[in-house]
Amino acid sequence: MEKIDYRDEGRFCSGHVACAGCAEAISMRVILNAVGEDTVGVIVPSCTAVILGGYPMSSTKTSFIHGTLESAGAFASGVKRALRAQGRDDTTVLCLAGDGGTYDIGLQSLSSAAERNEDILYICFDNEGYMNTGGQKSSSTPHKAATGSTPLGKPTRKKNMIEILAAHRIPYIATTSPSHLSDMAAKVKKAKSIRGTKVIFVLIPCLPGWGVAENAAVKTARLGVEAGVFPLIEVEGGVKYSLTVDQKTRRIDDYLGEQKRYNHLSDEDRRELQEEVDDTWARLLARAEAGE
Amino acid sequence: MNEQISPLWTHLTTEGRMTGTWRSALPNYQNQPSPCLGACPVNGRIAEWIKQVKDGDLQGAWVTLVDNNPFPAIAGRICHHPCETACNRQDLDETVGICSLERFVGDAALAEGWQFPSASIERDQSVAVIGGGPAGLSAAYQLRRHGFAVSLYETRDELGGLMRFGIPSYRLEPAVLDGEVDRIVALGIDLHLGAEVTDNAALTALRGSHDAVFLATGASLPKRLPALDYSRPWVIDSAEFLAAPADEQSDQAGAHILVIGGGSAAMDVARSARRHGREVTVLTLEPEGQLPAQQVEVEEAIEEGVKFVCGAMLQSAETDGTGVKLQCVHVDFETGKNPGEFSVTPLEGSGFELLVDTIIPAVGQDADIDRWSGMFDQQGSVIGTGTDWQTSAPGLFAGGDVASMSRFVTQAVGMGKEAAQAIAASLAPDIALPGADDPAQVPYERINTTYQDKHNRTRQRSRDVKERLAGFDQVQQPLSADKAHSEASRCFSCGTCIYCDNCYYYCPDMAITRLDGGYSVNADYCKGCGLCVAECPTGSIHMQEEKAP
Repeated sequence: MEKIDYRDEGRFCSGHVACAGCAEAISMRVILNAVGEDTVGVIVPSCTAVILGGYPMSSTKTSFIHGTLESAGAFASGVKRALRAQGRDDTTVLCLAGDGGTYDIGLQSLSSAAERNEDILYICFDNEGYMNTGGQKSSSTPHKAATGSTPLGKPTRKKNMIEILAAHRIPYIATTSPSHLSDMAAKVKKAKSIRGTKVIFVLIPCLPGWGVAENAAVKTARLGVEAGVFPLIEVEGGVKYSLTVDQKTRRIDDYLGEQKRYNHLSDEDRRELQEEVDDTWARLLARAEAGE
Repeated sequence: MNEQISPLWTHLTTEGRMTGTWRSALPNYQNQPSPCLGACPVNGRIAEWIKQVKDGDLQGAWVTLVDNNPFPAIAGRICHHPCETACNRQDLDETVGICSLERFVGDAALAEGWQFPSASIERDQSVAVIGGGPAGLSAAYQLRRHGFAVSLYETRDELGGLMRFGIPSYRLEPAVLDGEVDRIVALGIDLHLGAEVTDNAALTALRGSHDAVFLATGASLPKRLPALDYSRPWVIDSAEFLAAPADEQSDQAGAHILVIGGGSAAMDVARSARRHGREVTVLTLEPEGQLPAQQVEVEEAIEEGVKFVCGAMLQSAETDGTGVKLQCVHVDFETGKNPGEFSVTPLEGSGFELLVDTIIPAVGQDADIDRWSGMFDQQGSVIGTGTDWQTSAPGLFAGGDVASMSRFVTQAVGMGKEAAQAIAASLAPDIALPGADDPAQVPYERINTTYQDKHNRTRQRSRDVKERLAGFDQVQQPLSADKAHSEASRCFSCGTCIYCDNCYYYCPDMAITRLDGGYSVNADYCKGCGLCVAECPTGSIHMQEEKAP
């Protein structure tokens, strides 16, 4: 087997308050260490903000500024400009947000930053709902998933943020999973080396929010990748799509079976979701082939 | 507080918060036996040495192997490999080719001339080992390593026992046997070849002159079929046939040979006879697919043109002028609960005739223990011993075919090792008997197959059938270094930490520290989620529940 390939340089500290078994903590550890020391962070309300902070303590040795939920893109733009004014052009501005702060209320400020192609590295920890406030649905919640506000399952599909951001023609968009840590570290490093707006989505199976076992977040994320529900991709310049994992090796049932939020599904529901995955996958393949 | 820092800023890290208090269970690193180890007759640490092969440390792998078995090159050729039958990998695709890897390591040792280190201390006590077969040699080896003086008595002029006189060279080349036997003798063994220790007086004398005696004289008496007159010239004893040099074998037998028996010896006789150009039929009591010989032996025999009549029994045999006419009948065969036990019921009206020139019965051997009458208790047709191979006579131990109905070579090697350990512990207070292995073996469910190599098994190539029948050259061809490495990488290393660092990287709480040769868990921070256990590829971490003090 190949060893996981990144170095932990101590940027993320023990003693944080992420739930036991949280894949977001695993991912933050990779990202904070892969980005490195010469970084200023921006964080908006989210699980990540809770895990990182709790005044007067911080779980990271990287400097972070806590912003407001709707303004991650704007905060990061401002921090980058202030650093540039100080002559610190090479310092990375790392912006962390959840799917609420990205897909919903923060979409306008991210879109504006992307339109201006601000030199920021934006990470969205996507746990597909407002999981820090009791588990309500967000526009990232997938079709038919049960949440506190959609107890019978969400009637509409997950917003396709990749396509929205690709339409901004920013230099780099990627998806990563806590089941593929070397890939996550490599994509963060690659993004860091690019000037302009970079956005990376990390799939975070939420243990209480999705009804996943305490030791199964990584497994669930892996099943999501293998079933093609959460394809690992890169989009360069908004047009050049490539698949990091180019095989879909499972049916969606394996992925759904790990999560209580899909317990209510009928066979017909599962078939429908499988068709959606197949369709999305086919479109992605076609894009990837066209991009080459 | 540092006055320089604005009070608006955080000025502490979370490291002061002990999240370990959230926990109810703590991971525990504990190597656990793999199913192959549990199945291995010599308790070989298979997962450990295959890992060494994987890492390119062939000599290290050999050292691990010979800790339990001084004959890896031999076992790699002829072992019945229950390890492979137990292998967890079969639940994913196919078992790991453990035997072929063992042969690869054993052959490397012979090619490189690696020798056993001499005993670290020399002890005053001496042990007599009677019998130079697999059990006796294994015991002599283990006793010498502990520093005991060992005198080895063997009735024949050469060592090896059944490995030399019972296994044809197309399965085990004499050079390989010589190499692995010589290496044991080089440890400094007082050899007595051609020495008959066959009566009570001789045994009593040895008990008087040594501190302990290990009796491993094998099973030298052929079992007799009641339906066959063994005095006839057309009946040949299988053990004598196999022990004879190739040219003598060829002189002995007629054009069409009937071999009776379904075990390894029967296959060896049949396949040797095919190599002398004879027509060969094998008659077995066991139905097809249930022969006691290894599956591969039966398959290779069929490839070599041996015909099988299974599930049938000989009733009588007589010459009819042109050949030997046999009256046979099909039977219902049922195995008993102990090795070697069975019952047969002839099926009415299923009689048939066979016409052959020579009959070679190979239906097993019995231990010749009547010659020791009164020395110790018997247990059925073998010497009675405890689990430590101690007989009822003080200081006298017995193992191998003379003391057990388990008749595979590596089982004899295992018995020799266990007896040597018991003898050593009885003679020297500083030597402890090894503790019993943890019976709980790692099940397949504990292996995270995500991290396992996906490629299929690499098999040893067999020599072409035409080429095989032209002589007695080794049938199974060794793995190349590349193929051996690739096969080794298929091993799950069940229950054995491979230091992959998955536990370290998947810990959300940075509670796992890498140490030299292992890991430690920081109980101050570990929240007890169990991700390290879930993502461990080998099942060598366990969650251990913590109880309130």
